Amino acid sequence: MAKPAAKLAKIALLLFVLGSFYLVAVHRHAERDAVRSTPVALTPDCVQKLDRYGLAVGRLYESPYAFERTGLHKSLRGYTEEDVRAIQRGCNIVDDTHGRLAQDPYRDRWNAKRFIRGSHATCNNCHQGVGDKQDAAGNRMKGSLHLGASWVMGDMYDRFTGLLLPYELRQMQCYINASNGYKPNIADDVIRDVTAYSRFLSAALDMTIATHYEEQGIDEVTASATHKQGDDYVRGELLYKQKCMHCHGPQAIGLEADGRVVAPALAGPNAWNMQSRNNFYFVSTVLAGFICRNMPKGQENTLDNQECRDIAYYISNLPRPAGDRQGPVVALQQQLLMRALPPLLRLTESSPSKSAAPAAETRAQPVLGHAE
Amino acid sequence: MTLAQLQDHPVWRALLARIPMLIALGAVAAVVLWAHFAPGVASSSSAVSSEAGWESFSARYGMSYFGEDGQFVRAVQNGYNLFFHTYKYAPRFTRSTATDRVNACGSCHTAEDLAYAFVNSDRFEPRIGRRLSFEDQVRRCYIASLEGFAPTIYEPAVRDIRLFARAVAHHLDLTEGAIRRDGKR
Repeated sequence: MAKPAAKLAKIALLLFVLGSFYLVAVHRHAERDAVRSTPVALTPDCVQKLDRYGLAVGRLYESPYAFERTGLHKSLRGYTEEDVRAIQRGCNIVDDTHGRLAQDPYRDRWNAKRFIRGSHATCNNCHQGVGDKQDAAGNRMKGSLHLGASWVMGDMYDRFTGLLLPYELRQMQCYINASNGYKPNIADDVIRDVTAYSRFLSAALDMTIATHYEEQGIDEVTASATHKQGDDYVRGELLYKQKCMHCHGPQAIGLEADGRVVAPALAGPNAWNMQSRNNFYFVSTVLAGFICRNMPKGQENTLDNQECRDIAYYISNLPRPAGDRQGPVVALQQQLLMRALPPLLRLTESSPSKSAAPAAETRAQPVLGHAE
Repeated sequence: MTLAQLQDHPVWRALLARIPMLIALGAVAAVVLWAHFAPGVASSSSAVSSEAGWESFSARYGMSYFGEDGQFVRAVQNGYNLFFHTYKYAPRFTRSTATDRVNACGSCHTAEDLAYAFVNSDRFEPRIGRRLSFEDQVRRCYIASLEGFAPTIYEPAVRDIRLFARAVAHHLDLTEGAIRRDGKR
């Protein structure tokens, strides 16, 4: 009698465990549904961006931006309440991926932080202007990694991967490499809401499908667009100290103040990994292009092509996490370098001159992710 | 070592005693290998059959914009084949036979329908209470209209139809959320 009873108890225990998993899954599902129907508290930049583009619930949508530019009324399909909330959440994720401005990051950002290893990476670091960077006159900027322009060119041949890369998979690559993190599921709200926001941007800016716009991607700097002096570590280091160190720190590991990222890490555990397109050794034209067009803050477009490549070359020589293709040995080596180098360098390096590195208190830089 | 010695060897005897388990393991390994390699055999080939009507379709919808040939163009051509000859190019996901020519996407939809569906996709659908992507809609068609099975969203049977829709949307100069002027939905 004891044996059948024990067997029944085992079966009951197994059923109980499985049932518990099922109930947890149902609870989580309901929780996500509840978040989807909750009004969204926008970040300040998203308020500005979405107001400007006239996002509202309605049967039809007409972009004020497109009307202002073309003088033509163009009615598009409007958005339901659910669509508007998805776009708003997408904007928030791009602007504030870690949810630093959110009351409850788990709910407000779908806890996007769980897909990022470090504490610095946010979409807006690279896709500036909440994915839609414009100059003071409201003109979209060339090579500004515009999310709307990327969406309309989604599925096209990607020369870095050799794939017809869907927009959602491109986002996954960002999480894995640029954020040195983990891959969300393609159907995860983190991905779908950013897609919804990007699609909205393309509608607001009247971008047609499968058309290449200048603001898509980076305005890359190739070696042939330089003085052809070769990319130089020494020149790069000197330039870095003069132009970049004020914000990004002497070892490029970024700067945080009061729990906010003032300047993101360009090296070290919080930076992009070796498989990211930002890594000069992987794609030598991207980081240089980004530097030329976006850095230093407030002095954009002041560096020449050779200088940008030299800085990019120097930055990429600094230790950073290995990517998924480098293997465990390189990963271990990079981890050791990232941990051992900063204290060693602090010991051996002479303190930088005042002109090269102003005191931390004078680093009056805007909080990253909030500067257009 | 003679055959008799081999048969007396403890390792050999241990193996003989585990024959059913080894067969089961072999079967599992065979299924895994088949699952890994078999679907890739067809999809890794970039060659696309040219079906009747492709040339005129390509000219009419300005496919040369994307180049005379290339991965994208071939994927769009495969999308064309899937769209008009679904029973032939997606037999795994349809229940129809090769003679059942009615059972194709093109029997119910036009290329324009697809392009407008694409630019209006990924919106909240009140009837089902959730957001519906273009891929979801294609998969629903495979299940319901084609009486078949749902491919994953990564399948060329879904992806190439999306690329086909994207190429047509480009030709029609559509933006996100474009509304049909002919009143069709």
